Amino acid sequence: MAALVQGVRGALAISSCLLRATLPRATIVGLQQKGIHTNLCGVTPSAALLRSRNESKVAAQRWMASNPGVKPTVVEIKDRVLRVCKDFDKVHAEKLTLETHFLNDLGLDSLDHVEIIMAMEDEFGFEIPDGDAERLLRPADIVRYVADKEDIYE
Amino acid sequence: MASREAVRAAVRQVRPILSADKGEARKRVLNLYKAWYRQIPYVVMDYDIPKSVEQCREKLRQEFEKHRHVTDIRVIDMLVVKGQMELKETVEIWKQKGHVMNYFKETEEPKPTDFLSKFLAGHE
Repeated sequence: MAALVQGVRGALAISSCLLRATLPRATIVGLQQKGIHTNLCGVTPSAALLRSRNESKVAAQRWMASNPGVKPTVVEIKDRVLRVCKDFDKVHAEKLTLETHFLNDLGLDSLDHVEIIMAMEDEFGFEIPDGDAERLLRPADIVRYVADKEDIYE
Repeated sequence: MASREAVRAAVRQVRPILSADKGEARKRVLNLYKAWYRQIPYVVMDYDIPKSVEQCREKLRQEFEKHRHVTDIRVIDMLVVKGQMELKETVEIWKQKGHVMNYFKETEEPKPTDFLSKFLAGHE
């Protein structure tokens, strides 16, 4: 039993980074909506991983299931994307429109682009795989991608 | 002359370590960056280090910028492997606070500037 737990922990450790990314969002949502108390600090990583994996899945599903009607419109998505881009301190707000290219127009490099995509993942609450992420080079692309993922049609 | 050509042809193709081409190597590097970026708030929390999350992220960016000019795919793979090892040790808390703080320590001693330091160092 102990060996099984250890093996699982070892396997989960590499993916723990991605997992822990979903953790705070799910637990914050859980706290706000259902008043579930989850103890994030001071818990050993392995126990937190095994327990939180189930919790984050359940809590994430609850978020979408309990508010089925609340879906952002395309205008809202545009606002959120632009706001996240403006908050990024390496971006000059006056040059930012929906069509500015991150690498060419704003002069960011690929690591900055990765950070922006991560900020979008945190904002909208779903994972963006690498193959898709490297094609999202303008805010307009990101808006279209999020709208496709969330099934929002104008 | 012929042997030199043969050597050059043989040296041009080497066994890859992990990635076969630049695109794959680039993906590995960006994934490693993402993993470290996401792990940093937990590092600051678990190890209780006297640095903020922003400072740690800056240090992460510096470490990646150090090897920005590398073009050899095998070298990139090796650096990614080493970075992944560091990440594993940091995630599992096999390191201790001192090991994590080593990232913020300069490894080279600065050269002495005033007379007394130069004298003690031997007038280098």
